[in-house]
Amino acid sequence: MQSDSTTGHVVKPAPSQAELLYEAQQRQARNFRTNVGLSWGILLLILVYLFSGQNFLGIKTIHLDFEFIRNNLFFIAGGLSQTLLVSVLSITLATLLALLAALGRLSTIPPIYALSTFYVSLIRGTPLYLQIFFFFLALPQLGIILTGLTAGVLALGLNYGAYMSEIFRAGLASVGKGQREAAIAIGMNPWQTMKRIVLPQALRFALPPTGNEFIAMTKDSALVSATGFVHEVMWRATRVGRAQFHNLEALIMAALFYWVMTLILSYVQSLIETRLSKGDR
Amino acid sequence: MAPIVQVTKLDKYFGRLHVLKEVSIDVAPREVVCLIGRSGSGKSTLLRCINFLEEPSFGTIEVDGLKVDASEKGKERRQMVHEIRLKTGMVFQEFNLFPHMSVLENVIEGPVTVKGMDRAKAIQLAEENLDSVGLLFKKDEYPNRLSGGQKQRVAIARALTMEPRVMLFDEPTSALDPELIGEVLNVMKKVAKDGMTMLVVTHEMGFAREVADRVLVMADGEIIEDSKPEDLFNKPKDPRTKALIDRYRTGAN
Repeated sequence: MQSDSTTGHVVKPAPSQAELLYEAQQRQARNFRTNVGLSWGILLLILVYLFSGQNFLGIKTIHLDFEFIRNNLFFIAGGLSQTLLVSVLSITLATLLALLAALGRLSTIPPIYALSTFYVSLIRGTPLYLQIFFFFLALPQLGIILTGLTAGVLALGLNYGAYMSEIFRAGLASVGKGQREAAIAIGMNPWQTMKRIVLPQALRFALPPTGNEFIAMTKDSALVSATGFVHEVMWRATRVGRAQFHNLEALIMAALFYWVMTLILSYVQSLIETRLSKGDR
Repeated sequence: MAPIVQVTKLDKYFGRLHVLKEVSIDVAPREVVCLIGRSGSGKSTLLRCINFLEEPSFGTIEVDGLKVDASEKGKERRQMVHEIRLKTGMVFQEFNLFPHMSVLENVIEGPVTVKGMDRAKAIQLAEENLDSVGLLFKKDEYPNRLSGGQKQRVAIARALTMEPRVMLFDEPTSALDPELIGEVLNVMKKVAKDGMTMLVVTHEMGFAREVADRVLVMADGEIIEDSKPEDLFNKPKDPRTKALIDRYRTGAN
């Protein structure tokens, strides 16, 4: 070590410069996370306090009827399974439609291309709320009577399918031309190329945004309560809230259920994403 | 010997651009032919027309007795094109391995999916070919864990496992770091030595000189020279060939 002999210092086995820098960076990141977490806690405490009904320093906070909350907690929570059922069925339908619509956009056959763009345009050009009512209230006039669940799932599925087709289109576009050429060169036909080479890569690309759509859908499923026949969280909350004039408590409870549900789903989503990112790109 | 690849009066237009002008070539069985020329001379397009990755505008392609004319249409032609693709293996500049499949899965994909080969048999064949490119020990890795040179060697094994009659190489070393080019060229030499018919689009003059039986020089969509490598390098006929070779010599020095 030349510098040592010239300066005359004895080098101790100390951590290297790079290690020190790395540790400092890690410390900084850790501090940031801790502080964000603390701030979250404080915001949450403020929110809880706002609804605690306590008087503090002359600030009057909102008084909730905890008796009502206790009595109706399980009734509203009982809607979670319906909410999830509607969401799971709808996202399944939506995924299928989105995939078909995205593939239709790749088609060179005019009617198929047109059908795909027509569907997306029509659905995206009208409100989801209207679509739900259309299936539930307008179709009976034509003699088609759907249950609230079926109407809701059809409307949500069609609606989300139209939006999600863009995700799948981007997924298909993310697979390079070279992949198709390699498949063609080993003799694959268009169907084999799509199924074995393009789709697996496109779906991997599309999975995280599809997760986001699913989370969004669990919340939009509340709109299905408008039919009055799907007893999910929102329907139950408005029912007991209106009946006993405790809408404030009922809606706060529903909001908490939705919030916690999306938090859990987001967490699951992040787990899936980490797993995928470790994959084979 | 009757040619195994015969291209007759091939024309190719990209829009209004005339990139191949009545090109005709013959390749004999077991022959190694290098295609050289500046970028944009049409050499890659010519190669890609042989397995119909590019649709020729006019002219005829014949591979191992299967003859397809550019003007033909319909189901019968599609079948012929499919069979030509089965007889030709292709290696790309950008490797184009399937990233969602392991090395072994990449190599058996063609035989199993396209030819309907028994999986166990395909694996056996794949392992032989991976061994011959020196990468059997990587068979369970995914492509993103391989170096560029290794990827290209897997791509060669993948093409060979289809048991083609002719191998097409489209600038197989152009996307590689200089220190990785040698391993790929060595594998290609081995494939040539095993008696494979090869058409190689390349900028590697050293490889052309050492391995090729014949070198075709392309410029402006035409073949301007068709010679044995020693003639080409010692007494080029066309001034454009001379310029190409001079540039290579100065580059090499």
